[in-house]
Amino acid sequence: MSDRNFFLSPKASKARLREAENARKNRWEIISAHSHGQVTRRDLIKMGLFTGAGLMIPISGLSPFARSAFADSNIPTGLPPSPLFGVQAFSTPMPRFDVLPRQPVSVLTPAPTAQANTTQQPVDPALGGGTGPIEGRPPGPIWAHQQFSQLPPVIAIQATMEGAKTNNVYNPTVPSLQNSGINPATPIPYKFHPGLPVQNVLKDWTYNGTIPPKLMLVRYGEPVLFRLRNKLPVNQSQNGGFGIHTISTHEHNGHHGAENDGFTGAFFFPNQFYDYHYPVVLAGRNTINTTATDNRASGPTDAGGLNKIPGDWHETMSTHWFHDHMFSFTAQNVYKGMAGMFNIYSGLDRGAEDIVDGVNLRLPSGRASVSGKSWGNLDYDVNLMLADKAWDVNGQLAMDIFEFDGFLGDQMTVNLIYKPFMEVERRKYRFRILNASVSRFFKIALSDGSPMIQIANDGNLFPHPVTLTQLDEQGIAERYDIVIDFSRYSVGQKIWMVNLAEHQDGKRVDKDLSISEALSGNSPDPCVGKFLEFRIARNPAQPDISQVPSTMIPNPDLSNIPVARERVFEFNRGANQTTNDPVSSFFGPWGIETDNQRGTLAADFGRISAAPRFGTREIWTLKNGGGGWDHPIHIHFEECQTLARDGSAANVPAWERGRKDVWRLRPGGEVKITLQFRDFGGMFMEHCHNTMHEDNAMLLRWEIDDGGAPFLRPLPTPIPKPQGVTFVPPTEILPTAF
Amino acid sequence: MNTQVNIKTGRQRFSANVLTLLVGVVAVLVLGNPSVQAQTAGASTVDSSVTIATTGTVTEGTTTVNVNGSVTIKCRRVIDNTSTTLTPLVLLDFDFSQLQGTTGSGKTLVTYVTGDNHATAIRPFQASDTIVVTIPYFDSTKDALSANTFLATAALNFDSSTGKLTSGTLTYGTNVFKSSGVGTFPVN
Repeated sequence: MSDRNFFLSPKASKARLREAENARKNRWEIISAHSHGQVTRRDLIKMGLFTGAGLMIPISGLSPFARSAFADSNIPTGLPPSPLFGVQAFSTPMPRFDVLPRQPVSVLTPAPTAQANTTQQPVDPALGGGTGPIEGRPPGPIWAHQQFSQLPPVIAIQATMEGAKTNNVYNPTVPSLQNSGINPATPIPYKFHPGLPVQNVLKDWTYNGTIPPKLMLVRYGEPVLFRLRNKLPVNQSQNGGFGIHTISTHEHNGHHGAENDGFTGAFFFPNQFYDYHYPVVLAGRNTINTTATDNRASGPTDAGGLNKIPGDWHETMSTHWFHDHMFSFTAQNVYKGMAGMFNIYSGLDRGAEDIVDGVNLRLPSGRASVSGKSWGNLDYDVNLMLADKAWDVNGQLAMDIFEFDGFLGDQMTVNLIYKPFMEVERRKYRFRILNASVSRFFKIALSDGSPMIQIANDGNLFPHPVTLTQLDEQGIAERYDIVIDFSRYSVGQKIWMVNLAEHQDGKRVDKDLSISEALSGNSPDPCVGKFLEFRIARNPAQPDISQVPSTMIPNPDLSNIPVARERVFEFNRGANQTTNDPVSSFFGPWGIETDNQRGTLAADFGRISAAPRFGTREIWTLKNGGGGWDHPIHIHFEECQTLARDGSAANVPAWERGRKDVWRLRPGGEVKITLQFRDFGGMFMEHCHNTMHEDNAMLLRWEIDDGGAPFLRPLPTPIPKPQGVTFVPPTEILPTAF
Repeated sequence: MNTQVNIKTGRQRFSANVLTLLVGVVAVLVLGNPSVQAQTAGASTVDSSVTIATTGTVTEGTTTVNVNGSVTIKCRRVIDNTSTTLTPLVLLDFDFSQLQGTTGSGKTLVTYVTGDNHATAIRPFQASDTIVVTIPYFDSTKDALSANTFLATAALNFDSSTGKLTSGTLTYGTNVFKSSGVGTFPVN
């Protein structure tokens, strides 16, 4: 067994397990005090518990990496394994996502407004008392919904953010037969498995407070107003020991104004709401196909036709997700459950495999002629949210927020259920796979080594499908859409999805295993091996007419768009803290250097690191300066094309030759990408999506601020408070930002 | 090292099957490309690659497919200069796109392709390593949905001082996981 594993083996001695549990309890007191605001990180440094770089000093009885008193001198204490309470893997069905209802905008009370609704309401004394606005969005014209009158919301989707509770209104939108026999009318308690304990209301916070995770179904040409109400406890200490009650939701990776992007500093408080306006448009809508004459630039109509829209059809997107983006608390809040998925339907990617019109790619989904739905059929189009979790001796969700290297869970969940099974038919299925972990990378294969057809990366359908028997590593926030053809199996057979990526800690993958290694049971990483069982339950009632076309969506042609400038971002350890705003700045061991100037800087959403000009295209180089670590880097706003890896276009693998929004830099690696800045403006982000790195403090702000009124150059920074958002000048503007 | 244990375990697990199912193989080191050494603040990297001319046969049911073509393996060794605890690693990329398979001859000739297949792996750096992957292959006149698979076992050798991938062999055989990786359950 390796000597530096994050979790102890359940077979470890009782003395070691007891020692580890004591260490966790000791650490837990510090974590709770920190999350309640009773001690700051600086206090912990002064107390000698942390280094200036933010690393926990290996003190026996505290750090999981302190030397164990019960083992050889170099063996760390480790974390105690999560108890399973006798639960067996693959003993409960995997629930499909819970689809959020789509309603007319007229149901919203109060009606949505272009600028934030600043109607006053009493503020709870725990939040400072007095009065404050009912909407937490920053007020005024700069944070008004852009193009609100041209793209008025048609559909309202509402949700609350609240603590764990039983789901009595599960809406999978597929028949029970397509949901492994789950009866949607049966209440679903918040458990990671029916045999595991019910989660405490303070431990798990999620959309509507319930599982399965939530799914939004939207279509191009139909703007959506997503109203999120914050129903979390007003008392910051009522957090179950980690997480924070202020939230900001990022629709990853929507092409819309920054006011809807879940900016990390545009968070809102309990008892407030925030209106996110998702216009669901194609990039380039103001310059390409402006008269909306191209059938391929379109959304599906209810009648099975096409609603043609402006923009570049090559920018069509399909699989997004949404998650919390609270400044320096993203890891904790997402781990607590603040994550869902977001399927976008288009003329090309219709979600109805039997519509034949020369535009529809007819990917596996379901038949409109059977369901009566001309788009968004999910029968054979399955969202999978992968996440590693850990729980304490009582079965309650547990996290160690001081694992700045990266936090790993020791139990695999799919759609927030511990190692479930899924019944499938002998036909093709599309799987939209999201890595929703905090720090864990996955590498997926089928247990029999059979091929999978990858069709999309980060929600962007490829120019051509790619046939693989093991997917590339999948970093946090990356989405891989694949097609598996189960017709090669017989009814009564079962196979498994297998994770080949072995971690020892949260820094990076230690080793990719072969299938036989992963299935051997010898890996010290409990999340290696089988995690989802497919049971080939029956033949399809109707022939499989779905397709995987050899040509899907070619890349946008950028050859005639000049490159306005190039920038370089290096992601490093050992950041400098050059600003001290108590709200917008945060110090941690991580940081980003921009254009080889000013050194590596810790996060401050008041600092402007880059300000590309509206309507231009740039080339950005993302460098991993963090030694042998890996960083999945995410750039908000518009999808990019990968030009080179490690200096060569030939190093860009086939599955990265489409568009993307997250890149694993790989140890010692760098990526060169190109992106455009158009259609909308405001302040966006770039950060590592190992959210422990992001929160500590590998994040920067960039902005598009020269598009004319209402924008100012530079943009003032919002400072949210329950009594209202104020604005302050940027804390710093890097010399090459403009 | 855990790596050794796992590899040994993995190989033993299917070695008996492989002996009966595998037919053959070959592997000849053809050339090694120049390496690139790079140094950033955080890491030292050394790039290398080998191209291996391979041939072999794979039996699937009653069909025997003759496999041949070159496989290029790119390697980057990374040493983390910021850490004394992180072991050096190699990033490997196997390019199987030049492999082809054939059955029959004349009018019955069928050509199989791998569909631009690549496989990637991160492994701890060591003098030698064995990596097993499956490779898809399908009739070149059909689409990838009809793909079958065969097994490739790569035995790679590295220069411990330079960090370069120096040589390797590739062995092809029947995909044993098609039996060991599939289970059954009672159908209601």
